[in-house]
Amino acid sequence: MLKYIFKRFGIMLVTLWIIITLTFILMINVPGSPFNSDQSSNETIQANLEAHYNLDEPYHIQYLLYLKSIVTFDFGPSIKQPNQSVNDLLGRGFPISFELGMMTIIVAVISGIILGIIASLKHNGFIDYLAMGLAVLGISIPNFILATLLIQQIAVNLEILPTATWSSPAHMILPVTALATGPMAIIARLTRSTMLEVLTQDYIKMAKAKGLSPWKIVFKHALRNALMPVVTIMGTLLAGILTGTFVIEQIFAIPGMGKYFVESINQRDYPVIMGTTVFYSAFLILMLFLVDIAYGILDPRIKFHKKGGE
Amino acid sequence: MKKLLLFLLTLTTVAVLVACTANEDAGQEPDDAGAEETEIEQAEDESASGEKILNLNNSVEPTSLDPSIGFDEVSWIPLNNLMEGLTRLDQDSVAAPGVAEDWEISEDGLTYTFHLREDANWSNGDPVVAEDFVYAWKYMLAPETASAAAFLGYFIKGGEAYNNGEGSADDVAVTAIDEKTLEVVLEAPAGFFLDVLTNPAFFPINKKIAEENPNWHAEAESFVANGPFMLESWEHDSEMVFAKNSEYWDVDAVKLDKIHWAMVNDTNTQYQMFETGELDTASIPPELSDDLIDGDNVYIGNYGGLEFFRFNVNEEPFQNKNIRKAFAYAVNRQEIADFVVKTGVEPAYGFVSPGFTTPSGGDFRDENGDLVSFDTEYAKKLLEEGMAEEGYTELPPIVLSYNTSDTNKAVAETMQSMLSENLGIDVTLENQEWNVFSEAQQNLELQFSRSSFINDYSDPVNFLESFITDSYMNRTGWSNAEYDELIEKGKSETDEEKRYEYLYEAERLLAEEMIVMPIRYYNTVVLQADGVEGILRHPVGYFDLKYADKN
Repeated sequence: MLKYIFKRFGIMLVTLWIIITLTFILMINVPGSPFNSDQSSNETIQANLEAHYNLDEPYHIQYLLYLKSIVTFDFGPSIKQPNQSVNDLLGRGFPISFELGMMTIIVAVISGIILGIIASLKHNGFIDYLAMGLAVLGISIPNFILATLLIQQIAVNLEILPTATWSSPAHMILPVTALATGPMAIIARLTRSTMLEVLTQDYIKMAKAKGLSPWKIVFKHALRNALMPVVTIMGTLLAGILTGTFVIEQIFAIPGMGKYFVESINQRDYPVIMGTTVFYSAFLILMLFLVDIAYGILDPRIKFHKKGGE
Repeated sequence: MKKLLLFLLTLTTVAVLVACTANEDAGQEPDDAGAEETEIEQAEDESASGEKILNLNNSVEPTSLDPSIGFDEVSWIPLNNLMEGLTRLDQDSVAAPGVAEDWEISEDGLTYTFHLREDANWSNGDPVVAEDFVYAWKYMLAPETASAAAFLGYFIKGGEAYNNGEGSADDVAVTAIDEKTLEVVLEAPAGFFLDVLTNPAFFPINKKIAEENPNWHAEAESFVANGPFMLESWEHDSEMVFAKNSEYWDVDAVKLDKIHWAMVNDTNTQYQMFETGELDTASIPPELSDDLIDGDNVYIGNYGGLEFFRFNVNEEPFQNKNIRKAFAYAVNRQEIADFVVKTGVEPAYGFVSPGFTTPSGGDFRDENGDLVSFDTEYAKKLLEEGMAEEGYTELPPIVLSYNTSDTNKAVAETMQSMLSENLGIDVTLENQEWNVFSEAQQNLELQFSRSSFINDYSDPVNFLESFITDSYMNRTGWSNAEYDELIEKGKSETDEEKRYEYLYEAERLLAEEMIVMPIRYYNTVVLQADGVEGILRHPVGYFDLKYADKN
């Protein structure tokens, strides 16, 4: 197990290095500079700005500077918000995105699994169709549309909840609902289909024959096996949701880190691009790693010391 | 069973971890949320007891509240209300006394001597002294500061040399004669220098504070203001609260007690917040323009800016003046303004936008009249002449480029159909992401491309100067000695009446050559809640809340 973790860690570092290098190469090849704007300017000012952010150095020096900033975990100041370091931006935005993401995941997983179980138990019944109908709706309605709808109906028309910003628990209900619906629907459908498969297995029949209560069969015997595919998608889902979603944060004016992924690239804010890329990649790799570990716990057939699992 | 235990253990660990982070957050959040709630409660209590709080939206975090660095609207708006320069734009958007009570200008128009108010103080009680201006301006011009606003300081003698590294700080001709007297010597006379001084780039910096803590402007705790308001709190990326600055010399004129700034960047959300009363002003989402624009609570004002298209004179067929003009006369600007851009914008039949007051008190735009019109017959005639001059039987292919945006796309498509309908020219459209587009335009790689200009200060020369030979803002390849000379005179002539004559002439020459074709002026359209009044919205893009009131 330990050997496996070390090996994974090594691979993770190499992967990160490749990502960083590719990002750097892409970054210097995209035309434009962070200092393009509608406003008046001149050559001297552009030169001063470039010198200030070391953009006048040859590319290999810039590359080394980037590597150094990553190793020391100090990405320097953002070009577009010069009084803030990239660390400040991420340090401030991530906890908020994480909070929003965590609530979303909890809501999505719990309600998704429950919906899935109910649907599978009442297979082809009214409740099944209702639950799956909801799930299809959840998957097909993009979250930004749902978000706008929720604001219009619940905040503006009914005036039950506040419209936007992130300042009290009441402010969190709408964004979490908007964000959780999609993943919830995916999880519900996955749970339902795997549950249906598992419920026809011999060992479930055996359990029934033994006279175990239906609840015990579902939670103790069926669910554990039915959850494997859900765990598989959790890694990517977690990384995506926990590091912030641009659209939902934009609509609800939530000061998370989602916007930096998009805006830094539009604005050619190089340090922020590097910072967010490294952060997101590291987080994603870590999540995939945790998922692999979770497999081992859920499925005893997977052993880490043997390459390739089973 | 062991496996199950392990699974449960992992689950609990995860749960505890989550709880911990939640708790950590909770440790802060309830504090914050609590503070905020009490603040809101207080606010409600206080508004009941007559405290006036205005709720506004700055859309995003200000780039920087360092006056030399924050060179954009989202920084200017807060800065203009937190601080004050020597002069301040008044009700008519004309430079009026600010920190400077009065001033003398030498005969040759080169030396300005400003007398600072005795009662002008910083929010920490320090007096605002001449040295604070000297410090701020030299800081702005220092190459290491890398201020995007530095070019505004080139009016000052020695300013450009210091900024490009050829001169030194000591050669910049701004001196503190005594504590309350400031002397500035200009490179050349500039009749609009007092207007330039209203730009936040010329605001003073409290030298004592800045030398102790170069990052004084980054947090509310260390920020010192000298304007009508001071920075009470600042939660980055989330909100700012301004409070009335009791040290401000004209504090009696300030009616608001507090301003609460949200940072909501979504046009629909901010409109919905306005609907629910969480904001006192809002912009109109383009989709709702038709429904809202004629309402009672809509403010429409000038905004110093122009949307236009650049011809690249190095590329065929735009080396020919008549062909350029044919394009300009074939476009129906009124239709573009009314049905494509909407939100009450005005079509542009000249280059300098309305709202610039001439020495005689008129409006620059009215005085110089319309310089282009929509006239298909004339356009066809011009095209024929131009093609004959160049010996074309068929026009070379035309590519119209714009930076990707819904509105730009709609305008470009409309122009495409107008040019096809009125001149029989097939135009290909091409859109690029802003940065790519902007670089290609700068390098003269685009043939016919969209542009916009937003004024930095309140004088027509700001825009017209863009097209002098080799200007960084030229981006057309055009060079005209006569135009260069007119602009030179339009900047340095000391007789204001004459100076404006040169500017009129320069603008007419620009229209005669039609290096760029105007489309429409920018404007300010704001929804304002009932009872909100006195917000001065200046055409240079920032507004003043000094006299604002909310009943």
